[in-house]
Amino acid sequence: MTTDKDIGIRAAQEFLGSEVLRNRISAGSNNEHYVFIEESEFESAIAHLAANKFVLISLFCCEGFTANAAQTLFYVFERRTSILVLVRGINGHATSIAGIYPSASWFERECRDGFGVEFEGAFDTRRLFLHETYPEDFHPLKKAFKNAAITTKKSVDPADEYPFREVKGEGVYQVPVGPVHAGIIEPGHFRFSVIGETIFNLEVRMFYKHRGIEKLAEGKSPLDCISIAEAVSGDESVANATAFCMAVEQISQIQIPKRAWYLRTILLELERICAHLGDQAGMLVDVAFPLGANQFSVLREECFRENDRLTGSRFLRGMVAIGGLNRDISKTQLDVLNAFVQQMRKRYKIGLKIVLSTASVIDRFATTGVIRPALLRPLNITGPAARASGGKVDVRINHPYGIYEQFAPKPQRLRDGDVLSRFTIKASEIMDSFDLLERLIKAIPEGDINSDAPIRDGYTLAMVESARGQNLCWVWIKDSAIERYKVRTASFSNWLAIEHAVQGNIVPDFPVINKSLNLSYAGTDL
Amino acid sequence: MVNALTCLLKKKVTEELPVRSEDVEALGREIKTTIDAAFGRSLAIRELDTGSDNATEIEINNLNNPFYDVERFGITFVASPRHADVLLVTGAVTHNMAIAARKTYDAMPSPKFVVAVGDDACDGGIFSGTYAVLGGADKILPVDMKIPGNPPTPIQILSGLLALMKKARAE
Repeated sequence: MTTDKDIGIRAAQEFLGSEVLRNRISAGSNNEHYVFIEESEFESAIAHLAANKFVLISLFCCEGFTANAAQTLFYVFERRTSILVLVRGINGHATSIAGIYPSASWFERECRDGFGVEFEGAFDTRRLFLHETYPEDFHPLKKAFKNAAITTKKSVDPADEYPFREVKGEGVYQVPVGPVHAGIIEPGHFRFSVIGETIFNLEVRMFYKHRGIEKLAEGKSPLDCISIAEAVSGDESVANATAFCMAVEQISQIQIPKRAWYLRTILLELERICAHLGDQAGMLVDVAFPLGANQFSVLREECFRENDRLTGSRFLRGMVAIGGLNRDISKTQLDVLNAFVQQMRKRYKIGLKIVLSTASVIDRFATTGVIRPALLRPLNITGPAARASGGKVDVRINHPYGIYEQFAPKPQRLRDGDVLSRFTIKASEIMDSFDLLERLIKAIPEGDINSDAPIRDGYTLAMVESARGQNLCWVWIKDSAIERYKVRTASFSNWLAIEHAVQGNIVPDFPVINKSLNLSYAGTDL
Repeated sequence: MVNALTCLLKKKVTEELPVRSEDVEALGREIKTTIDAAFGRSLAIRELDTGSDNATEIEINNLNNPFYDVERFGITFVASPRHADVLLVTGAVTHNMAIAARKTYDAMPSPKFVVAVGDDACDGGIFSGTYAVLGGADKILPVDMKIPGNPPTPIQILSGLLALMKKARAE
């Protein structure tokens, strides 16, 4: 697939010309290519990439990257196995590309809140992660702002409240839900516009949990940042810590011992199994089938306990380190894990059979909450949600990291895009992860688990496939400290998919549709 | 005729729990006795996430899985603060959640208790002193009990609740 990796470069040659490109391109340490782009070339470049099916997977800003621009915008595009990053120097203003790439809208609003960059021609200029109580003209990611407690408004005048899109018409009414929900879940606001029982429109408002993760990382040593990466989203602790450490290792050209990568991969797959089991149990709770739900919640609790036995943390925290792992897992422990996997697989199959042979469950799951395949590219939908709607991307296959080239998961793909497809895809992924665990335990080599090497300055992009899909981070180390830690989780990308998936469904099906995607609020709000 | 003895000795209609851990059972019995004494049979809890990393929510949710199944011990998680005796707060309090958190607390009938669950809720954790958070739950609510941990395990959360009830009874 070497030719696929060059798709990005070829596209850049087409819109810039080989001659110009030669002086503008630089290779990143993770197979990504950075192309520095002039303002006059920008529009045609975007049009060219859009016409050639490139997906905008991230867009972020940083200050002080080049001498002649106040801010630098990084537009990260993906097509198959190729990653192309357009680097655009700006001075407070930029043209919006949200009209061409709808996934850019949240990214641009994020840059505006963080850095005060104004995007001309944007269709949505409301604030994103800074809610109404934050002062105007407050931009926390500017270097000029030193991270410290600030004072915010104690109350919000009704006139200043966030303006939701209003749908008007005979019989249309609004149902506001959240931020505090009825269940034990994270906070977010859902504004339904409903006709009778049918959802006509949904607008999701997030970022209630904005904790300032990216600013918190700034100025810290890379070592101190691992716990911050783990705090991005609890159930993706290993995935986000691995992505962060991979970035630092690639920047510093640290070679990781083989054994460490085997163990990391075991942890990554355990985390995936735990997450998917929880999603499946939740989906069954939401269609009132506790018999099925408890099959999976029992297995999940046992997984948590196994995690604890292996690592001392039910969430596998404190294991992933820069250069490898903090602690080894002994052969005896791995043998126990192997036996655990064997019996889990058997019991999982029994649970799955109960669920899939229950007509009332299938009736609620099938044709509910359809994500149309045509939405995948414009909204950058990722992970199992995309693979249930005909998508093919899995970071483990498209951009294999660690030892995934050798231990490639089976490509999963369904086309219906409904709740049932997402349930089924997650079931296949769990079975596949059991297989992977077995193969990994069998093949794991002896040896060191950590390589001690100095951390160097530089920047790179790193990606992993978390349970929810592609998690991406961009790390820039300057003078041995974190200059910028940009995180974009799969959840951030997939929230907008829910707005589309619920249209035409009834309000009582919203919980199961939401749970079938089970996105992380913390991982979105940062 | 139904009397106390037939309730104990007669064959149960439901099946045995598939899983059982003795430490949970012992803790559960003590919780049940204390709830009976202090709250008159049941303790209603409302969970409020003011900025956690979701691991604490997962552990609180786990209290309802068949291993713990805390409803047996008289603990229920309720959908509205208006039905709650206890507010379990997770995560540092973000500026974006401060108003909603306050409203949730105000909606609870008295007497009411606030428990901070997890390091971030206890004192702001790693987010302490940063622009996006006010700090721990005690920055905006009167906290009666703190259960530290990153995240605390289900057993630790149950032990914390037991401690709260004992404290409430003593006062």
